[in-house]
Amino acid sequence: MNATGIPLKEPSVSAAAGDAEQLERALIDASTRVPVLMFYTSAMAWLILGTLLAGFVSFKLHTPDLFSDISFLTWGRVRPAHMNVMVYGWASMAGMGTAIWLMARLCRTVLRYPLLLVAGGGFWNLGVLLGVGGILLGDSTGYQWLEFPRYAAIILFVAYTLVASWAVLMFRFRRGEQIYITQWYLLGAFLWFPWLYAAGQLMLFVVPVQGVLQAAVGWWYANNLLFLWFGAIGLGTAYYMIPKVIGRPVYSYHLAAIGFWSYALFSSWTGMQRLVDGPFPAWMITASIAATILTIIPVATVGLNHHMTMQGYFPLMRYSPTLRFTVFGAMSYTVFSLIGVLISLRSVARYVNFTQVSIAYSHLGLYAFFTMVIFGSMYYIVPRLIGREWRYASLIKLHFWASAYGIGLMTLMLLAGGFLQGANMENPSLVFSESTETILPYLRGRSLAGLLLTVSHFIFAYHFGLMLLGLGRQSTVPTFLNPVEAEGAEAHV
Amino acid sequence: MKGLAPLFLGIFGTLAFSWVGLTVIPNWQIGHLNPQTDEEGTDIYPMPQSGMVARGGRVYAANGCIYCHSQQVRADYAAADIERKWGDRRSAPRDYIFERPVFLGKMRMGQDLSNIGARAPTEQENAPPTGAASPAASPAAPSGAPARPGPKAPPTSPSPAAAANATPAASPSSAAGVPWPVQTSGEPPMYSAAWHHVHLYSPRSINVDSDMPSYRFLYQTRRITDAASVDALQLTGSDAPPKGWEVVPTFDAECLVAYLMSLNQSHPLKEVRSAAPAAPAQSPAAPSTSPAPAK
Repeated sequence: MNATGIPLKEPSVSAAAGDAEQLERALIDASTRVPVLMFYTSAMAWLILGTLLAGFVSFKLHTPDLFSDISFLTWGRVRPAHMNVMVYGWASMAGMGTAIWLMARLCRTVLRYPLLLVAGGGFWNLGVLLGVGGILLGDSTGYQWLEFPRYAAIILFVAYTLVASWAVLMFRFRRGEQIYITQWYLLGAFLWFPWLYAAGQLMLFVVPVQGVLQAAVGWWYANNLLFLWFGAIGLGTAYYMIPKVIGRPVYSYHLAAIGFWSYALFSSWTGMQRLVDGPFPAWMITASIAATILTIIPVATVGLNHHMTMQGYFPLMRYSPTLRFTVFGAMSYTVFSLIGVLISLRSVARYVNFTQVSIAYSHLGLYAFFTMVIFGSMYYIVPRLIGREWRYASLIKLHFWASAYGIGLMTLMLLAGGFLQGANMENPSLVFSESTETILPYLRGRSLAGLLLTVSHFIFAYHFGLMLLGLGRQSTVPTFLNPVEAEGAEAHV
Repeated sequence: MKGLAPLFLGIFGTLAFSWVGLTVIPNWQIGHLNPQTDEEGTDIYPMPQSGMVARGGRVYAANGCIYCHSQQVRADYAAADIERKWGDRRSAPRDYIFERPVFLGKMRMGQDLSNIGARAPTEQENAPPTGAASPAASPAAPSGAPARPGPKAPPTSPSPAAAANATPAASPSSAAGVPWPVQTSGEPPMYSAAWHHVHLYSPRSINVDSDMPSYRFLYQTRRITDAASVDALQLTGSDAPPKGWEVVPTFDAECLVAYLMSLNQSHPLKEVRSAAPAAPAQSPAAPSTSPAPAK
């Protein structure tokens, strides 16, 4: 393929499609500008805060005496604060921003009632702020992933209702018969989340279930949030961005349908494998392990579909920031799922159940997969909202490599350290503290990885800030990572 | 995909399937358990928590103890938990029926705590020789922690040879003047209320290898007015307050320790096989007199 023939330059491609379509897209993009930028800006602020908290958590784990007389800086409060800022502040808000834009584009309708969305975003920010404040002040509920105190949870739910009712309205006004793959995933995510959140809140706080079932409900919620909320938005975004950037239709629609339904069916049944050998009826855990193994089906179909779509176009990752981030995320989804299968097997779980491996797993899902896909979508969407292109290709490259190496190093450190920790824990002839001693060097390595991620996030936030201030490049071509003209592209194909 | 109805039904149906399967059906199966009693209706286990213990549970939640400590013992065929003497049988759903929130945990950067209260020393064993100190304030933590100054406990466990030679009588004795028994690698560790307070205040004064943050904000350093408080922590070295000052637990710290001392799954359950022959548990003296589980 010839470098100059790269269909990255959307204007030149869509010019053929006629001016009417161009104009329609521009109108849709303009109508989404305020709410989507509001979600993105809030998400960026939460990302920076979450990153700082993460650095503190990581550092304090191997330096436990830091600030030990300040109650709101104790490790056991900052850790859930970091987790909730990232999950509800960064990932959910950025994901919703992307989902709103995609929904408007795919429904081919201008965004109605933007105030509903802006109000929803405002309430969501308020909910996260109150929730994180509550956790730091010692108001945590003590349920993992649902630590937000009730007053924050209620605000969050109201905010969500505003956003979701908007999405359904949008769907109602859509034009065109065909419902694209991305829309299945997004509609699923928007309908699954309120159920998950309401079920979690009701069964834990309003009519609490007895004893260990609280843990079952908690992990059911957490795992489904990971798969049916973040996973669905991430996969839906990848299904849009990859074909869009390379200018080629998805390889197989049928494969996509199989992937979607098997994903909805099997991944929703996972969760209990995290409680392996705990005080539960064995069938619950076995069912989840079986479901986890069956998630190989959606992983294989989705992975194959993306791969076949990309076939022959991989060299484009050299130029397009969106493609590079999105493909990295899509590949990480496969790795994340396969590691999930591996650590769910009873023979492996015996060693890794109570170790840092589960932290590695969450980071693979939420960062290497979801966050990278969302970064990619932001590189695509923000210029279309602002009318300027990203200013520095070098900053995008730095962002990508710092993120990629950072998350790669973090995952390796936590996986390797976690396996050693588990092996030592399972060896009763060693004293217990041997297992936590073993992992300390790996935790220091993780702090180093966290430093890389911090650098990458600050670079991205700076670049995003430049765009917000209207300091992007005025150009008709997107910012490529490498100059297209200068390359003898044939040599790389 | 054409047609909205199948899409909506499918989205609804898949999650409904999982919700019913993983939360509603288990709730029918194990969601309404009652405490176990013997034939006469006495010897009830588990018992509802006292107010102080419940509040201690909230302190446990607020300060994120769950992110490092689990509260579940896995079966002997599944893991080495019982060999590590974190319990003499696996945990069962009935153990947790009064717990809210339930802290099963997902991480062991610290030890499992399911039976930490069962490993507390008994009063007879650890009674202060002078009888000067009254029992700790918490009613749920009936430990006769002596308020007696003394040299610090050796932080590391003795060499294997020493452990093998150590007689059972030697280890829990307070001959060295330590307010808690010396931990040997052959013996299950023993945790008194005084031990917990010092450990929460300064973990590395007890175990240099500990990775636990200290929880000094749960303690108050105050000037001794007329007489030293019986609750004052026995601190040594750099942790010790200046002369004329003392470190006392706040009410939250008392509750937290009461909660920790209440964690005890040593009572046998009919549905679970105990690794050791069913010990006459439940009496306060049981944990220390029951034989160690066979290796």
